[in-house]
Amino acid sequence: MAGPKTPAQAPSAVESLWTSYTENTPSRLKLIDSFLVFIMLSGIMQFLYCILVTNYPFNAFLSGFGSTVGQFVLTASLRSQVNPQNKEQFKEVSPERAFADFALGSIVLHFFVFNFLG
Amino acid sequence: MLLILAATIASAAALSITAPKALVLSSDGSQLRSESLVNPPSTPITLHSTDTLKLTFTVQEKDQGVRPHQTFLRFYDADSGEEGIQPVRVSASGKAKFDLNMARPPLSLPPTTDKPIHVSLILGSFTHPPAKIYLFDLVLPESQPPPQHPDEASFHVLPEIQHTFRPEQKVPPKAISAFFAGLVVSPWLVLITLYSSVPQKLTHIGSPNILGFITLLAAFETLLLWYWVDLRLGQVLLYGALLGSLTVAAGNRALSSVAKWRVGK
Repeated sequence: MAGPKTPAQAPSAVESLWTSYTENTPSRLKLIDSFLVFIMLSGIMQFLYCILVTNYPFNAFLSGFGSTVGQFVLTASLRSQVNPQNKEQFKEVSPERAFADFALGSIVLHFFVFNFLG
Repeated sequence: MLLILAATIASAAALSITAPKALVLSSDGSQLRSESLVNPPSTPITLHSTDTLKLTFTVQEKDQGVRPHQTFLRFYDADSGEEGIQPVRVSASGKAKFDLNMARPPLSLPPTTDKPIHVSLILGSFTHPPAKIYLFDLVLPESQPPPQHPDEASFHVLPEIQHTFRPEQKVPPKAISAFFAGLVVSPWLVLITLYSSVPQKLTHIGSPNILGFITLLAAFETLLLWYWVDLRLGQVLLYGALLGSLTVAAGNRALSSVAKWRVGK
């Protein structure tokens, strides 16, 4: 089978994945994806602070980190429900209904986060 | 039954003793001191470790010898509160005799110090009122102090408990806090960069339905921020309910218009 050396012209798997992503993904999904990246980075930064420096106001760390995790879950579910390629799976959920659910869930999450933030 | 007893005791004559006498002998039998105890002696009777005290008296009721049901000698140390009770044998005719040999001291003696102990006689009877007669003061050789009860400490104030608490948690130095605050805010820059690189067209955002819905959502977030700094739970729930009903109505309208636009396209 093919050895460790790949031909110079054939793109690597990562490159072809990236190209396919940028070309084939609708721009709305790309917006949601960038929001997901933002949430992930926020969570990582807060976690690094907690490990490296201090967890002194522990409730603050928990609520901040929990908000990133919760928001990530909500946004990921929104993305999967809004994706046109998933239309077969979500017959009874229109994209607008998905967005309304996302908005309601986010508000409730923010309320609990602010409660715990202190 | 108790009333009859009480009546009998009240009507009976009191017990008394006659011819009380104390004799102190040394170890070789020579007499060191002889006292009549009708009145208590002016000086205490001293016993050394080889001496013997001989005590004699007769218990009488109205000039007739009688044997009371209980006859006790009480040795009482007024300073320490220690006391010892020694029963005394009384014959049927009321004659009583008690020997105290310091070479073999009885177990009923209390722990002694260098202070004198008061010796008194206690007579108890079912048919006579009780009698307590002070006899004399006695100085005995010093004994070991009484042993301390193992629970003694719990009857006094215990030492105060000193608690050690975990040291207060401190806020890290400002430079580190500032650096990490910047680090945590940096994803916003990433987000803005990514958003600007995605080509998209915001059609229909000008329509009043959609704008109204978005403003109401922003108002909800502002309400939560206000709750974080100022409001109380009841207030935020009340305002949230009001705002929520408005938002639901606006959202219904906005999203159905978007759906119509999407399906129509």
